Amino acid sequence: MRVVFALPIGLAVILAGVVSAGGALAQDAGKSVWQGVFTPDQATRGAAVYAQRCGACHGAALNGTGEAPALVGGEFVSHWDTMTLGDLFDRVRTTMPQNDPQSLTREEYADVLAFLLKNNGFPAGGQPLDRRSEVLATIGITAEKPANSGS
Amino acid sequence: MKITPILPLSIAAALLLNAAPSALAQTPAKEGTIAARTKAGVANWTTYNADLKGSRYSALDQINAGNFKDLEIAWRFKTDILGSRPEYKLESTPLAVDGVIYTTGGTRRAVVALNGATGELLWQYALHEGKRSAESPRALSGRGLSYWTDGTKRRILYVTIGYRLVSLDADTGRPDPDFGTNGVVDLKTDFDQDLGDLDTGEVGVHSAPAVSGNTIIIGAAFREGFTPKTSNNTKGYARAFDVRTGKRLWTFHTVPKKGEFGYETWLNNSAEINGNTGVWTQVSVDEDLGLAYLAVESPTSDFFGGKRPGPNLFGNSLVAVDLKTGERRWHFQLIHHEIWDLDNSSAPLLMDVTVDGKPRKVVGLPSKQGFFYVFDRATGQPVWPIKETKVAKGNVPGEWYSPTQPIPSKPPVYARNGVEDKDLIDFTPDLKAKAVALAGQYVLGPVYTPPIVSTPQKFGVINNWAQGGTNWPGGSFDPESGIAYVYACGACISSTGLLPPPAGLSDIPLVVGVAGQPVVMIKGPGEGAGADSPAPAAGGGGGGGPPRLAVDGLPLVKPPYGTISAIDVNSGTIKWQVAHGETPDFVRNHPAIKALGGIPRTGQSTYQIGTLVTKSVVIAGENQFTTTPDRPRGAMLRAYDKQTGAEVGAVYMPSTQSGSPMTYMVGGKQYIIVPTSGGNASGEFIAYALPNKR
Repeated sequence: MRVVFALPIGLAVILAGVVSAGGALAQDAGKSVWQGVFTPDQATRGAAVYAQRCGACHGAALNGTGEAPALVGGEFVSHWDTMTLGDLFDRVRTTMPQNDPQSLTREEYADVLAFLLKNNGFPAGGQPLDRRSEVLATIGITAEKPANSGS
Repeated sequence: MKITPILPLSIAAALLLNAAPSALAQTPAKEGTIAARTKAGVANWTTYNADLKGSRYSALDQINAGNFKDLEIAWRFKTDILGSRPEYKLESTPLAVDGVIYTTGGTRRAVVALNGATGELLWQYALHEGKRSAESPRALSGRGLSYWTDGTKRRILYVTIGYRLVSLDADTGRPDPDFGTNGVVDLKTDFDQDLGDLDTGEVGVHSAPAVSGNTIIIGAAFREGFTPKTSNNTKGYARAFDVRTGKRLWTFHTVPKKGEFGYETWLNNSAEINGNTGVWTQVSVDEDLGLAYLAVESPTSDFFGGKRPGPNLFGNSLVAVDLKTGERRWHFQLIHHEIWDLDNSSAPLLMDVTVDGKPRKVVGLPSKQGFFYVFDRATGQPVWPIKETKVAKGNVPGEWYSPTQPIPSKPPVYARNGVEDKDLIDFTPDLKAKAVALAGQYVLGPVYTPPIVSTPQKFGVINNWAQGGTNWPGGSFDPESGIAYVYACGACISSTGLLPPPAGLSDIPLVVGVAGQPVVMIKGPGEGAGADSPAPAAGGGGGGGPPRLAVDGLPLVKPPYGTISAIDVNSGTIKWQVAHGETPDFVRNHPAIKALGGIPRTGQSTYQIGTLVTKSVVIAGENQFTTTPDRPRGAMLRAYDKQTGAEVGAVYMPSTQSGSPMTYMVGGKQYIIVPTSGGNASGEFIAYALPNKR
């Protein structure tokens, strides 16, 4: 039993290392950020968290200050084009705030993500962003609004 | 339950590698380094800039215009495990010595030796500094390290996040017991000033030490200067140390002490109450003339100098000091009383050229402000006139203004150095009109337009200051032709205004702020971001604020957003200039641009690009991810013809260039290493080479 028990722990450590290394999540995105994937309430909660934990470096208006990049605008969205919200979520979750990563709850990170989406002009909808990376990985980030998008 | 023995063993090995608990972790120690070392078919890259002249030049030409497009990834080295968390800002330039690669990496700023042919880890060293690294103003992996040998001893030298100079045996990664105390010199001591608590005393540095003969030269860097706590922070003295013993050899007071030359340029004895003025970029050395060239940055603070009236020598000066004594031989102040964050950012380029038929030994300095300054490097005399030119006087209360600034007559400005009406986008009349309307809420002007106090009517000065032009990657040059190749950002614009800080934030009357928003502390590059950094205090933030500097989502200023310029230093002319970097997706795919049928390549807005020059081509990668019709999301590593700037080849990179590329040869095969990171891709060195079989 001891051996059996040791094995999963070792694997878990290695897997954790892989995730924190920023490996791209599966690209089987079935949904798009243009389909209303967060709620207005969630973005409002995210604004409060952002002001507390992110604004000092990225700026109150998300414009970036010093070397912290802007989190709004074409360059930010282009940077994540064709990736998934799962990729962006895990990048933020595992590295931000830069001096204390993983110090927010998953719900708070999702709220901040909703706030970023709202500020980048993506539409709100009826369902909040999920707290799970693997579910967020099914939502594609596309910089260009699809022609057939309903919103 | 039957378990194969192989699996647990490999897991155990992986865990050992990941844990790296000891400062002396050996993986797998000397045997690996000795096996990798070779003299067969090698070409080395032994200092950060390829040489102490700052050239970033290699005479290799196996990779050339004809085959650049065939390059493929030879090996990759991920830096995630070199710290407590992955790094997304990998800026180090590796060294290559006889088949072994040496570099810093990771949030711990560890040092690794790799097999140059395979990328295999040979050894790694890391100093765990606890609070001292957590408090450092300059965390993360830094720009690199240095190599020294006397033919017998072989050493790797670097500065830790906590500002300690370490000397390692190049074969084993073990600290040299004859150097300092057990291989370490505490740079926070013996500094001609008292830093108080050694953990919290403010100083650090990203640059690699400059090592010439037996002399190591070390600079200094500080917290971001937008919102400093005090004007009277640490002074950035430059120092030299003996490479064998670590003994301090000399100190150059970048802020003069009383009685020293230049002290009187700080009116009201203000040299006593101001800091910074460090040398944070690379130091170049002319070993024949015995001179070291220090590109000194600005005093505290970046945009307000009311507490330091006067020109403030040696702020923003190029200073040539005697390599052996540190005594000043000559200096030239490029900006008097600097208040734009246009601090000296680039390594001096020591070039031998022919001017008006005469051979000249010159030093060229690229800059954030798009001027390329050229001096006789023995005397400091400008090669072409640099005229003291009247500049605008501002109206910020308490500020002291220099009535003139030195403006080079040659070469011409190579990068946008002001933002005026003519710089605003004009793809269509509608976009131009919107740009003009937006700009009306700000102040526009040419180079050296002074900062303003932020008001709801005029939020600030739109400028290309802090991150524009040429930043820390500096330039490069071809010693055969006397042409310098320099990247510059043309659209790294921001708005800068000043506001009084709230009580307790700073002892400086005005710091960076925006009318209508709370003034908060602005953090700098990697500050509080290292492996030992603690939780942050709750910060400011808030809604509203001025509009973004964009028009219908497009950048406010015209392309090119980033360029590489070929500056012929024989004639003081710009030989060619190209937009460097694929047009960003959000521009290329913008409806207004599509309606125009597209636009020429714009380049990219970034200051992270360094160039590499070889016998054959100029090489630089892209810093932004793009997705184009013929390839997936990624970035390109591009090669340009040295004479014309025509692109002669490009290869795909899975991540973006975040440091400067270098090249070397081992076993008769040429490699190019690109430091990459960005987006969801953490730090990774990617080595390219030509296919073995074609």
